[in-house]
Amino acid sequence: MTTQPMIAFREVHKYYGDYHALRGITAEIRPGEFFSLLGPSGCGKTTLLRTIAGFEDISSGAVLIDGRDMAGVPANKRPTNMVFQSYAIFPHLSVAQNVGFGLRRDTRSKGEKAKLVEEALEMVGLKGYGARAAHALSGGQRQRVALARALILKPKVLLLDEPLSALDRKIREQMQVELIKLQREVGITFVLVTHDQEEALVMSDRIAVMFEGEIAQLADPETLYRRPNSRRVADFIGVMNFLPATVTGERGDTITAEVAGLGALEVARSQVSLAPAGDQAAVGFRPETLTLLYEGQQAGDREAQGVIDEVVYYGDMTYYDVRLDGMERPVRISMRNVFGRPVLDVGTRTRVAWSPGALVLFR
Amino acid sequence: MAAKGESWTRSEAAQGYALIAPPAIYAVLLLAAPLATILAYSFFKDGYLTVIHEFTVQNYIATWSDPIFRVILVRSLFVAGLVTLATVALAFPIAYFLSFGLEPSKKARWILLITIPFWTSYLIRVFLWKVILGYNGVVNSALESLGIIGPNGLIADPLQMLNSVGAITLTLAHAYAPFAILPIFVSLEKIDRSLLEAGQDLGESRWRTFLRVTLPLAMPGVVAATLIVFIPTVGDYVTPELIGGGKIPMVANLIQAQMLPLDNRPLGSAIAVSSLLVVGALALLFLWLNRRFLKAGK
Repeated sequence: MTTQPMIAFREVHKYYGDYHALRGITAEIRPGEFFSLLGPSGCGKTTLLRTIAGFEDISSGAVLIDGRDMAGVPANKRPTNMVFQSYAIFPHLSVAQNVGFGLRRDTRSKGEKAKLVEEALEMVGLKGYGARAAHALSGGQRQRVALARALILKPKVLLLDEPLSALDRKIREQMQVELIKLQREVGITFVLVTHDQEEALVMSDRIAVMFEGEIAQLADPETLYRRPNSRRVADFIGVMNFLPATVTGERGDTITAEVAGLGALEVARSQVSLAPAGDQAAVGFRPETLTLLYEGQQAGDREAQGVIDEVVYYGDMTYYDVRLDGMERPVRISMRNVFGRPVLDVGTRTRVAWSPGALVLFR
Repeated sequence: MAAKGESWTRSEAAQGYALIAPPAIYAVLLLAAPLATILAYSFFKDGYLTVIHEFTVQNYIATWSDPIFRVILVRSLFVAGLVTLATVALAFPIAYFLSFGLEPSKKARWILLITIPFWTSYLIRVFLWKVILGYNGVVNSALESLGIIGPNGLIADPLQMLNSVGAITLTLAHAYAPFAILPIFVSLEKIDRSLLEAGQDLGESRWRTFLRVTLPLAMPGVVAATLIVFIPTVGDYVTPELIGGGKIPMVANLIQAQMLPLDNRPLGSAIAVSSLLVVGALALLFLWLNRRFLKAGK
């Protein structure tokens, strides 16, 4: 990358007394990117976002925005705007006054400012809501007002602190799509904080997965999902089955691992996770990379036998927990439900097919 | 069925009345009845040592045509206004410190400290100010021992601080400070802290954010504090009596004089009702102006 990053973290540390909240964060966020900070609560993702906004001082290191070191620059002088988790809509002001709050020092005329506000409201789908009292809005509408209020100032970076977590599922999914569209439209760099892995996968160009004040993996959604670099990342993003394995041989680009119940597996070196997983190596695979074989179906590469332990029906999908012969714990397999194919019962004996390309070896 | 339903509603209604009876009885006996009595008395004739139960508006004519009443009423309102201004202006920074300057775990302790003046009686607090401000009081003796007051000092004679509007204002402002601090504190506590971050995030400095976000959101507390301090101070009796030395009477002193020493209860009642109406009108005017102002601010 020759272009200058929009945001650069250089060895950022943050202490709250003895508590080490950020432990040497180094990362770059590209201009125009939809970037997510993903992690469980308490991992430091919100703290990191707040160091960009200027609400949190850092103990050491540097945060650069568009090449400029932000040390000593207060929040009101930074080229960033934020959508707060609680939306922080001013309850004593109308919708239009909320959206126009940051325009006070703008030199344009009153009429032009009013037009800007109207345009911003239209952009977020709240045309004609300007005169309403802010406290009379629904959660989704508040979210939109918060977005319009931030975007009207044309920041270099828009910071979003769990903006969708307070919305119910339907509106959340709708807002996810709208946010992606909006981001493409305005071309501003978005940095999203979320604990919802699905939300991060849906919306982001790249995701930084954080645990305990450190970035565990920074990659695009597909790489994170297909090639997590540690068991922890794999566990946090989606569902992954882990089977204890013993590495028995390495030859060129392939590694051979012995898995009880599946036999010897050959795994491409590109599918080997870098982070060590303790003494015991493990083979991981996603539920959808395994397939239940029906009567007469032939296995692609390999197959194993087992008994269905549990069935969870989701409408479009069914999750089967299958105990493969020679294995202690069942593995989870997801199957798309197809018209005319029955959902199998608990206790049914079944064959399972897998392809070695979908496996990840953690060692 | 219908009869049964009716009796059921009746018993439901009866239960409701039974539930509100204690506060209703309290309100009628201790609030409405005394007020009604005063109102009735204000329309009776005074027959020197007796009250003649005949309707007259003479008491009101006497009240409002009496220049002394007007002087004393204006003085009461002026002192109460001064006290309110001083109290609210000083209470705001204290409430702000309590709300924004302290860790949540320490707030309760500080609020307890603020209520300490209430642990002694109002009368004793007023007397303490007399001790502090008196001719041979704490302030004068201190200045004397420092040599500021005395034959060779900057000032020849001890300061005459008691028996003045200033001393009354100081005493009342001290007595009512917690009443102003607490409502302002509560309204500041209710402000979502992310609103202040949002103000700064949108480009405003801390001071500007205070003016545009904190202050308007704290206004309900300021209004409550203003009314809570203003209304009782207009009718304060003890402080003008003790600190003012009876030389600067306020409305309550005038009412007391009519009611007891002069034994003209109808006229005393008329003065009481008149000042009640004036204070009520002022409070409503204040609320109305405040609402207008808040609307204009938007």
